[in-house]
Formats: sequence, C-alpha cells, structure tokens
Amino acid sequence: MFPALLHDALTVGAVLFVLGLVGILTRRNLIVMFLSAELMLQGISVSLVAWSRYHGDFGGQALVVFVLTVAACEAAVALVFVLQAFSRTGRLDAAAWQSLRDAEVPRRIDRELPATDAAPPVWPQLTPAGVRPRRDETAEPEREHV
Amino acid sequence: MIAALLPTGTTPLLAAAVASGTVSLWLLLPQAPGSDWLGHRRGALGLVLGVAALAALAWAGRRLGGLGDEAVFQIVSLVAIVGGAATVVTRSPVYSAIWFALALAGVAGVLLVLGAQFLGVATIVVYAGAILVMFLFVLMLAQPSGLAPYDRVSNEPLLAAIAGGVLLALLTTSIGRLSADPPACCTIPSRADAVATAPVGPAAADALAADPLARLGRELFGRHLLAVEAAGLLLLVALVGAIAVVSRGEVAEATRKGAS
Repeated sequence: MFPALLHDALTVGAVLFVLGLVGILTRRNLIVMFLSAELMLQGISVSLVAWSRYHGDFGGQALVVFVLTVAACEAAVALVFVLQAFSRTGRLDAAAWQSLRDAEVPRRIDRELPATDAAPPVWPQLTPAGVRPRRDETAEPEREHV
Repeated sequence: MIAALLPTGTTPLLAAAVASGTVSLWLLLPQAPGSDWLGHRRGALGLVLGVAALAALAWAGRRLGGLGDEAVFQIVSLVAIVGGAATVVTRSPVYSAIWFALALAGVAGVLLVLGAQFLGVATIVVYAGAILVMFLFVLMLAQPSGLAPYDRVSNEPLLAAIAGGVLLALLTTSIGRLSADPPACCTIPSRADAVATAPVGPAAADALAADPLARLGRELFGRHLLAVEAAGLLLLVALVGAIAVVSRGEVAEATRKGAS
C-alpha cells in the first residue's frame, strides 16, 4: 500500500516548490529571487528523501547531499554576480537589466509609487517615572566626575 | 480505503485548498497600494484565505489517512509551508531571509521525521548557518535604507499565482492518483520489495537499518564516490571562481576610474 507519510511528504514538497516558483516569477529583488530558488530546492529535497524512505534506498538521500553542495556553490557564485550587478546599477532590481530582454517584449514601466507604504512607525515612549535623586555637590566633591 | 475515499471525498477539498491558496498568494504578493477596489483589506483577506487553504490541505491529508497520525509531521510541515509563503510575500528582503530560515527549520523537521537525520542537521548547518548568512551579508551591503520601490511591486502577481496554482493542482492530483492505485506502467520496482522477496544475506535484509547514518555514508562513498570527488572539485571551482569574478570586477572598476 502507498504509505500516507509518503503522500503527505510529497504534497509538502510540491507546495514548497510551487511557492518558490511563484516567488521567482514575481519578485523583483534579486536576493529574494535567489531565496525563492533555494525554496524550490528544499521542496525537491523533501520529495527525494520521501521517495528514498519509501524504497528503503539511500540513493535519494545521497542525491540531496549533492543538492546541498551545489546549492552552496550556486549561492556563492550567484551572490558575487548580484554584487557585481548592484555595483553597476546601484539597485538590486531585476528590472534594472531589462535592456537585455527580447526585441518584441515591451519595456516595463513602473507606475509612480508613494514614498512609503504607510506612515512611519510610532515607537512607544516611556513615561518618566520616579524622582531624580537630589545630590549634594558640596558634600561629595570626589563625585563630580561621576 | 484510500481508493474509496479519493475520487469523491478529497478531490473537492484539494481543489478548494489549491484555489484559495492561489487567491491568497495573489492577494498577499506585494503590489502597489490602492491599485484596486480591495485597497488595504487585501492583506487581511489574503491571510484568511491562506489559513483556509492550509486547513483544507491538512483536512484532505487527514481524510487520506495521513496527517493527524503524525502530529509532529503536521507541525513541522506547517512551519515549513508558512515560512515558505512568508518568504515569498514579505516586502522587506531581510525579513524574507529570516522567514526563509524558519522555513528551513520546518524542512529540517520534515527530513528528521522522514528518517534522514544527517540531512536534517546538514540543512540547518549548511543552509541556515552558511548560505543564509551569506545572503544576509549581501543584503546588508546592498540594501538601501527603507523599502525600495522594487520591493513593493511585483511582476504579474496574478498570472504567477495562477501558474503556481495550476502546477500545484497537477502535482497533488498526480500524487493522489499515485496513492489511489499505482498504475502498472509506473510502479517502480521497490528496493524494499526486492529485499523482502529476494533471498539475500543478513546485511541486505535491513531495509531501514538501525544506523541510517552509516548506511548513508556507505552509499555516498561506495556508489557515489566519483560524484563526491566531483562535488569537492565543484566547491573548489566555485570558491576560486567567486573570488576571481570579484577581483576582476574591482580591477575593471579601478581602470574605469583611472581612465576617466
């Protein structure tokens, strides 16, 4: 019989993969796009380990070890490229590189955005409590530098 | 039992989960404020729909005879999914990275429940400990103060959410069909079955041995020895390549400044 744990783990892997896919399709910050790619890799890892457990074979787990390795390499190289792109444009925006698009794709033009989403945060202020102790300067001359 | 339940019982539930999850993702993705009639209520509506989607998904899994027996699995997968969704929809990239760390904790928990101790710990150590810190370093270097405009809008959130929903529907349908009746064409010869039926020695009889760590090590350094060497080489190449690209960029920058 098909075990329920395998079914659930595969579903969780699918959900994680889809979330990462939506993130990499929509988000415009290069770093968040890479985070979404890593999320897709996590979904794949969960599926591989679930199948590995189902078959009683450790090949899936070994493959996940390589996924981890390649993800580490990819993150190092990709972040270097992100830094290079940032030093050229001053933005972490994927749309800053839209001059590389195909000829027939229309140019993306941002609408005007208000400066911030909401009013600046209001931090709580502590009400002054207690009474400042009175000090006798003449009695304690050695404390004047304290 | 599963086959009896699946065609009638769980399909509408799964469909509802996927649909409300899609709409919730669309509502929660960063968009310019006031772009439609929902206004600032879209966040609250998206959250409600997301919770409904998660509940429907969990309920569908319970009807299948899964979740619920495994309370730990349910909790850690909830953490993973909520963390992943928040990674995608959070506006601030720093918070996004922190949510990703939470999703990693959930994934590590799922891996632990599935019996992959080494991978669960390695996920925490390598991802949350190294890769995520690298992401945060780059964010600190490159993130402007406050929310940049490109963090507050996204590319085609509706189309992307629909694409994700369609893919999720296809995946859950095929997983459900797989569990209902594994078709004859696609049943993979299971190693567990092979071990159970074939008369082999005592070493091969323990399909899930008492020490899975040792078995993973044997697998890695036996069947995949060459791949391990290649992975080591890949790490070295990535290290050297990253440093080379950075330093070449600095040289180019210096020459450009010197020329101007």
